Amino acid sequence: MARTGSESDRGLTRRGLLGGGLALGGGLAGLELFGATARPARAQTTGSPRHGGTVIAAAEIDPIALDPHTGSNFSSVQAYDHMYESLTMYDEKTNIVPALAQSWEITNGGKTYTFKLRPNVKFHNGQTMTADDVKYSIDRVLDPKTASPWVSWLNAIKEIKVVDPLTVQMNLDAPYPLVGSFAGMRAAGIIPKGLAEKENLKIRGIGTGPFKLVEYVPQDRIVYARHADYWDKPLPYLDGMTFKVLTEENARIAALRAGQIQYAFLSAQGAAQLEGAPGITVAKSPFAWVVLHYINVLNKPLSDARVRRAMRMAVDTNEVIQKAAFGAAVPSGPVPTGYGDWYLDPKTLPYLKADVEGAKKLLAEAGYPNGFKVEIKCSPQYPEFVAATLVIQESLKKIGVDVTVTQMEWGAFVAENAKSNRSCGKEGSDVYSSANTFRPDPDGFLYSYFHSKGDLNKGGCDRPYPRVDALLVEARQSSNHAERRRLYHEAQRILLEESPNWWWYAKFNIEAVSSKVQGYAQSFTGRRLFLKKTWLA
Amino acid sequence: MRYLARRALWTVVALLGVSVLIFLLVRLLPGNIVDIIAGTEGQLSREQRTAVLREFGLDRPVPVQYALWLRGMLRGDLGWSFRSGQPVAQLLVSRLPVTIELALLTVLGVTLVGIPLGVLASVSRSMRVKTGVQIVGLLGLSVPSFWIAVLLIITASHLFGWLPALIFVSPWSDPWVNLQQMFLPVLSLALGLSVVVVRMTRSSMLEVLGQDFVKVARAKGLSARAVLLRHALRNALIPIVTVLGLQMGYLLGGVVITEQIFGLPGLGWTLLNGVYQRDYPVVQATVMLFAVTFVVINLGVDLLYTYLDPRIRYE
Repeated sequence: MARTGSESDRGLTRRGLLGGGLALGGGLAGLELFGATARPARAQTTGSPRHGGTVIAAAEIDPIALDPHTGSNFSSVQAYDHMYESLTMYDEKTNIVPALAQSWEITNGGKTYTFKLRPNVKFHNGQTMTADDVKYSIDRVLDPKTASPWVSWLNAIKEIKVVDPLTVQMNLDAPYPLVGSFAGMRAAGIIPKGLAEKENLKIRGIGTGPFKLVEYVPQDRIVYARHADYWDKPLPYLDGMTFKVLTEENARIAALRAGQIQYAFLSAQGAAQLEGAPGITVAKSPFAWVVLHYINVLNKPLSDARVRRAMRMAVDTNEVIQKAAFGAAVPSGPVPTGYGDWYLDPKTLPYLKADVEGAKKLLAEAGYPNGFKVEIKCSPQYPEFVAATLVIQESLKKIGVDVTVTQMEWGAFVAENAKSNRSCGKEGSDVYSSANTFRPDPDGFLYSYFHSKGDLNKGGCDRPYPRVDALLVEARQSSNHAERRRLYHEAQRILLEESPNWWWYAKFNIEAVSSKVQGYAQSFTGRRLFLKKTWLA
Repeated sequence: MRYLARRALWTVVALLGVSVLIFLLVRLLPGNIVDIIAGTEGQLSREQRTAVLREFGLDRPVPVQYALWLRGMLRGDLGWSFRSGQPVAQLLVSRLPVTIELALLTVLGVTLVGIPLGVLASVSRSMRVKTGVQIVGLLGLSVPSFWIAVLLIITASHLFGWLPALIFVSPWSDPWVNLQQMFLPVLSLALGLSVVVVRMTRSSMLEVLGQDFVKVARAKGLSARAVLLRHALRNALIPIVTVLGLQMGYLLGGVVITEQIFGLPGLGWTLLNGVYQRDYPVVQATVMLFAVTFVVINLGVDLLYTYLDPRIRYE
């Protein structure tokens, strides 16, 4: 299975994601049925690309740190994405395509990956990238001392061998869809050998990316300049980019209107304020961000699947979408709608309309005809999680379930959630409102949460779903896309039935771009990868 | 002199108390840097957690952590930011000028607007002025500054299509751009605060104007202006200065949110982010700095009394 940069290839995740590009269109068509509107994910383009100019963009969250191996929360990815690259990457159609690796071979039943590196790739310091740098970077991620929070994307790798300066071989314990982990970039950036020991990577950095870091002033701005030796010539077109941290959405909107910035991420309400504003294009498309409630399934009464299903049935999904996401979302199962072609057709998802009578019956059957009390925790850090929880609270009144909504500051919320994970659900709360964000492969939305050995499987600690276990293992071992899709679809249907989580919707990625900025495309990852392809008109 | 020495001693005791309190409160907040790094989706093993905690010195007993921090502080070492790996002292020094400028401009604005308006309101016989002051005063007291800030942003951009440059420019490199950048934040902070000063000035002036020495001054045939400014205002200033001093303290709280809204890289936002991300060294150092400032302002206000009213002498 040799792969090259120029030819279209097949197998594992690659083709699935290609299909995903097409399916994304299908998903959007489906959205019309739910009364939502969506514009094409690509901004309009006039004229041909030209070099020069600087884009000023808004960053809506201050990154925590720029280290590509430990600063792995999404706000950090958004910041270091422009500086660092990995072996593979996503294109606009969500295909996995070569990046620093020119091609790769998968042998030994999916357990050996051999990557051929692109020659003459320069780091921002002028150094040429070699296999040693790749080994050093990935070894750093795998080292427990690095404490990379996303090590699970890569820890299937048992050893990394430098075959020659442009060939790296990775041996795995068991088959795993590794190329997606590199394209997903969380903790997979390639840095020059020895850099971490020399530099404070939290605020500085040297990568191979289209832009090099000029200055990072935490809570204020991140300034990038064009990497003149970038391997993918003639990119990037821009001379530079500046991200100004503007956490207040009104400030971002005002800055867009006043022409001070040319790009901003917005909420649905924010986008509505810009409706019809001249010179600004608002692009929307679903992305890998599924809003859900995590349930601890160990304690009564939520240990009974009938209870969880009854509660899910009592809630109208579209009402949640309207009230929590202001309509800018689409119903979703465990794998976010819009994610390749791995997701379940939103029209066939259960409980799109509330079934209060059915829910009451099911609850009575489970022995709770008069309902019960339950607490749901959420954080105002994400107002839509709170809104979603309030809709649920209201709906559940109809079946006699009395919900207490507890709002917690994000740090406190995260700490309690972690405690619950560590203690197998014995400590902590029963229901948490949160979201699952982008994963490199559908496996990431399912395995660690629902396989009985999954890292985040607090519900499965002593109550696994044997059929789901089998399906998820089989899907990991298969390299046939259609086969994997069938397995994941079946696993998702079982999970919807068992309701160990309540999945609500996949959010739209809403981005406002000045019409001066040409050639920008949205990414289903929510990342701003394609700023490197933009130019100023 | 004895008074000053006693005051200084109490100041040290108070600051020590504050330092213990901050240290404990920060640690009482649920969640630490490890939880923030991992989020709800990240996966840190037990060993990884331990490794991170050890790296930041959080595996030691809290009293030991405190002792180390205090020792460092006395030597002028404020520690390292968990998040950026920078020395905290360096971070604070780089953020301080923005906050000082914001606070000073606000106090200046409040004084220049609040006191004259208050004096005007006290001597005006017009019912309209009186009710106007009452209504605006009530609004100013009840509307929080961050709400005013958002309103100002929307008004400025929607109605006037105006917004200052976003990337912060220091007053040394371009005073004009810097002033534009400071305009809205200062306005949002000053609006609420000047209302307090207007009200305080007005009531204090009214009280003083009713006293005998003012009547005497008037009877001597001094001009109304001289009576008002030289005799009445000076005597009315004591409570006004107290309020201004207190407000400078509150201002430190106000800048936290205002800076965040306007994207000003000052101490306030540094503090807020530090809290969000459980960056203990940054939070501790910033709050300590605020505490020291508060104490110093109070001391300054007390010393100002003796100048304003020579009858006040501290023993």
